[in-house]
Amino acid sequence: MRYASKAPVVMPEELAVRIEDLSIKYKINVDTKRTLKNAVMRASKGERVRTRVVEAVKHLTLDVPHGSVLGIVGANGAGKSTLMRSIAGILPPTEGRIIVNGKISTLLALGVGFNPALSGRDNIILGGLASGMTRDEIEAKTEEISDFAALPDGFIDMPVRTYSSGMYGRVAFSVAVNMTPDILLLDEALSAGDASFKEKSFNRMRELCKEARTIVIVSHALATINELCDSAIWMHKGTMLAKGKPDAIVDQYLKFLDVGALPSNFEDM
Amino acid sequence: MPGPVKNSDFVSKIQVFEPHKAALPPLVPYFKEFWKRRTFATELARFADKAEYLDSKFGKVWLVLNPLLLAMVYFLLVTVIRGSSSKNLGLTTLAHILIGLFTFYFAQNCISAGAQSITAGGRLILNQAFPRALLPFSSTISAFQQFLPTIPVYIFVIVVGKHFFPTTQVPGLTWNYLWVPFIVLMVGLTGFGLALLFATMNVYFRDTNKLLTYMTRIWLYLSPILWQPSMLHGWHKMAIYLNPLGPVLSATSDVWINGKSPSLTIILGSLFWAAFAILFGGYFFISRERDFAVRI
Ligand SMILES: Nc1ncnc2c1ncn2[C@@H]1O[C@H](COP(=O)(O)OP(=O)(O)OP(=O)(O)O)[C@@H](O)[C@H]1O
Ligand SMILES: [Mg+2]
Repeated sequence: MRYASKAPVVMPEELAVRIEDLSIKYKINVDTKRTLKNAVMRASKGERVRTRVVEAVKHLTLDVPHGSVLGIVGANGAGKSTLMRSIAGILPPTEGRIIVNGKISTLLALGVGFNPALSGRDNIILGGLASGMTRDEIEAKTEEISDFAALPDGFIDMPVRTYSSGMYGRVAFSVAVNMTPDILLLDEALSAGDASFKEKSFNRMRELCKEARTIVIVSHALATINELCDSAIWMHKGTMLAKGKPDAIVDQYLKFLDVGALPSNFEDM
Repeated sequence: MPGPVKNSDFVSKIQVFEPHKAALPPLVPYFKEFWKRRTFATELARFADKAEYLDSKFGKVWLVLNPLLLAMVYFLLVTVIRGSSSKNLGLTTLAHILIGLFTFYFAQNCISAGAQSITAGGRLILNQAFPRALLPFSSTISAFQQFLPTIPVYIFVIVVGKHFFPTTQVPGLTWNYLWVPFIVLMVGLTGFGLALLFATMNVYFRDTNKLLTYMTRIWLYLSPILWQPSMLHGWHKMAIYLNPLGPVLSATSDVWINGKSPSLTIILGSLFWAAFAILFGGYFFISRERDFAVRI
């Protein structure tokens, strides 16, 4: 959540995000569903709840300067989405802290908070209001967003549950990039959409990069990372293994995956 | 160089996310963020109705019809069991059940919809940061909007009833109706507070909501709706004050049925439960809401 702390915060002017020794742990309830019934049953048998702690991010320290485009690569379960959520202020750190300077817009892996029963337009409005925009501000943007998404004949006013996954992705991407954020977090955002939309979103991304916005991209499409980012990190089991120029990081990552720089990895964007 | 900020500056420029040691986050920024996003809650309530087609004409009729039919059933049961004698008493009983049930439904809708609001808001919670109390608040607004049209229905029943039974005890227009906004506010606050409590519980125990349906049924029978508060004597009167909705439902029958202003103890009782529900539920909710994203 976005609550300023009282402790003095040192944040160099040129940084958009500063991550200091960040750790995030999930506590997972291993057995059975979390119900009152089960809790009572367990208590009556004197059993304890078995939990497992997953350390999704471990002691990560990172600075993201304003206007830079950072790519994050890593295997499934490396903690990329977790890191993005904590930068967005959704997951509280278990240890360490995150300082963010600027307005954040997110497009995270599980899809935006779209309510499937409502139309795309209604969802755009709700999302804007939840992020703190006024009714007028978001209404002024809605047209722009739906134009960018360019859904076929009037689908923008149909319930989201009738959308194809590509249509869903289009709207989600349009929302994220048209909110004029200072910091844009994209988690697997460019994967949906057909060739023409990919082209369009890629161009939009280049524009945003030129406008000196700060962007953090998580993607398994390594070509995207290579082309758009000016630096990259490689995450592995919660830790940052390497940091540097995107092509170097991608190379290292690919070597690790033991696949080599196969063309297919560069084509799937 | 920071990028241009075209929108109003709606989040404080520098934000710090830290582990939370304190039970509560700093409350002033919390309520600032909450207030800034109040339109989100009202729009969400409107859209939720839209998704359930409750904004259509028939949807509105259904909202009123449902408690109305239920009130009829209870009225028949009560008169059969009690073997009601005079016709005047019949209208009083009906009026009492109607307004009691409408008021109770308002609270019940706040609580049951609010209790699900967090678990149902899964993706919104996983992908956006905002004060989570907005979700149950939105359910409370929605419940209020569903409660509003039942008032004219009640008045209509009374006006027609008085036409046929002019000697009835049910009062016409009196100054005591000025208590109605107070009563509605107290019911809304109590309902919102309890919604916060059960919404939090529902995150930890997913069957809370099921339990809640049984609890509200029993609660309905324990509340002065199918019976009048004046039927209790001596220490039995405690039953009113031990019930979070007891005092405010007594105030309801005082104002709507007996045509008098509620007693001071009733007013204080209503205030106590509203304040207690908000403070207790609010503390429970806000101190835990930062964990919701991890547990959804
Ligand atoms: N809600 C959750 N509850 C418990 N554990 C979780 C939760 N979300 C993620 N994890 C765990 O945290 C670790 C990191 O997950 P995360 O989603 O951040 O990975 P990722 O790098 O985004 O992976 P992918 O490439 O598949 O998207 C994993 O081990 C996962 O099991
Ligand atoms: Mg992920």
